[in-house]
Amino acid sequence: MIELQYYLSNLPDGLIYGLLAMGIYISLRILDIPDLTTEGSFGFGAVVSVLVSLQGHPVLALFAGILAGAFAGVITGCLQTKLKVHPVLAGIITMSGLYSINLVCYSLTEKGATTNLSYDKNTVFEKVKELLGIRGQYETSVVKAVVSLGIVILVLCIIVWFFRTHIGLCVRATGDNPDMVSASSINVDRTKIIGLMIANALIGLAGAMASQSLGYSDINTANGTLIYGLAAVIIGEAILGKRGPAIGVLSAVLGSVLYKLIVAFVIRQNLFGEKSANLMKFTCALIVAITLAIPAIKQKAAESKQRKAAR
Amino acid sequence: MLEIQNITKVFEKGTVNEHVAIKDMSLSLKKGEFVTVVGSNGAGKSTLFNAICGSFMVDGGKILLDNEDITYKSEHKRAREIGRVFQDPMKGTAPHMTIEENLALAYTRSQRHANPFSSAITKKKTAFFRENLARYHMGIEDRMKTKIGLLSGGQRQVVTLLMCTLSVPKLLLLDEHTAALDPATAEKVMEITKTIVAENNITTMMITHNLKQSLSTGSRTIMLDSGEIILDVSGKERENMSMEDLIQMYSMKKQKEFDNDRILLSSEE
Ligand SMILES: Nc1ncnc2c1ncn2[C@@H]1O[C@H](COP(=O)(O)OP(=O)(O)OP(=O)(O)O)[C@@H](O)[C@H]1O
Ligand SMILES: [Mg+2]
Repeated sequence: MIELQYYLSNLPDGLIYGLLAMGIYISLRILDIPDLTTEGSFGFGAVVSVLVSLQGHPVLALFAGILAGAFAGVITGCLQTKLKVHPVLAGIITMSGLYSINLVCYSLTEKGATTNLSYDKNTVFEKVKELLGIRGQYETSVVKAVVSLGIVILVLCIIVWFFRTHIGLCVRATGDNPDMVSASSINVDRTKIIGLMIANALIGLAGAMASQSLGYSDINTANGTLIYGLAAVIIGEAILGKRGPAIGVLSAVLGSVLYKLIVAFVIRQNLFGEKSANLMKFTCALIVAITLAIPAIKQKAAESKQRKAAR
Repeated sequence: MLEIQNITKVFEKGTVNEHVAIKDMSLSLKKGEFVTVVGSNGAGKSTLFNAICGSFMVDGGKILLDNEDITYKSEHKRAREIGRVFQDPMKGTAPHMTIEENLALAYTRSQRHANPFSSAITKKKTAFFRENLARYHMGIEDRMKTKIGLLSGGQRQVVTLLMCTLSVPKLLLLDEHTAALDPATAEKVMEITKTIVAENNITTMMITHNLKQSLSTGSRTIMLDSGEIILDVSGKERENMSMEDLIQMYSMKKQKEFDNDRILLSSEE
């Protein structure tokens, strides 16, 4: 029972970070753009969310998080298309610019200069608990899991629907063959910006929800989200394979949940000794590197096998 | 229909690599005219197409399409009226998307005011695409859900051709679109091209390195060299022209250049 409760407590985060993974899937796989805005838009979503929540509107805060992320995506998109900045650099520029903006945001309350803000129970999850009159740690986990699952399913449906619309088709084609999109009289710059906007809007929402789940928002919460998202996308693809956008976004969420559970398992079992929790980012990098290297390793193996057979 | 007035294009202006790709060129096409374009490698044929399509702005001159000045129009806006097929079958299609998705995307050109959030693929559209594909007896119509990347080069060129002409463009530009195909397939794609152009009476320009084809196809032939039109024949004159004449014209021009160079070199001594 304690085991189950422990893993259940990790489920909400897995789902929430699934939104982040969806965002990364869209920029990386659908748009074919390495977008490094992630940590900026995640952090921006988080701080905007806490500021709006402290005014007593935790639900509105989620939408504010979405807008914050979308804003970051549009900035990166404009840098890439209108100003012809290299995609990687464009992301880095937005990300570091946002870091300062986030710091300014944190010092907007009467508490003055600080790098973290507490929600003081003004979160969606607390509101739902209040509404249902629920207490207790276990029940809290269940509420969080159900609320996150609901939001994730809703977002999934919207994204899947979007990629079936005409504009969605244009965004997909932009990542596949931009010349052809332009030859079909579609403004490629615009579809790129729209794609990055949606990707980062999801990441902003993830930031907002993750901080609400924690109960506070810290400038450093965003650290490591990019590599986390990449790992989730890759794990998801390892399970469901590389298929259309619908399966793709679903696999990203699945990858995220699975990844969170793996991490939880590693920490629980102390696989890396007492300091397991400290090695998480390293594990993450390792998983990404290995998975990305597998095709090359497979090919090398096949080649050497062939060479041996030829002798 | 298409009116090109004294256009010039200089690449890498002001550097040691400065290269005049198009030199004060003028050309006028009547509606429904089918012009074949020949010329050696680097003559500026593709550059001319790029200028018409708006891949870059020209350095001087004017381009009019159907009496509308399009000199400063952006590429994607010009694409509403101009269809283009490249030599490389990979270039005109999105390889990881299905045939029907590609066609649906290309069909945007005719549906400029459609709701962007409407369904990308509808039964009605698919039926329309299938019907059009079926006419060419290549068996593509039964593979609507296949990724385009899995089709052969010839099949892809046919799909690209259809993508460009489903909504009839004012101008069709074909840049050696059969050059990457085997002779039999090239023949077939060429037949299909002629059918589509004739049926819709599309004003067309086609670049080719096949001199025989350049005289047998269409109604007018122009030859480019170093960014200039050095030959423009149609009607009787063209009918009486043989491939040998064309080759001769060509080498004559080259010979002249050679002589010029020689004079230049000898005067330097
Ligand atoms: N983007 C560019 N930048 C610099 N130079 C260019 C560019 N595009 C074309 N050129 C130059 O312009 C000249 C004409 O090129 P173009 O591609 O139009 O030739 P072409 O007639 O299409 O030849 P081919 O038969 O080989 O396709 C060439 O010398 C080429 O190097
Ligand atoms: Mg060329």
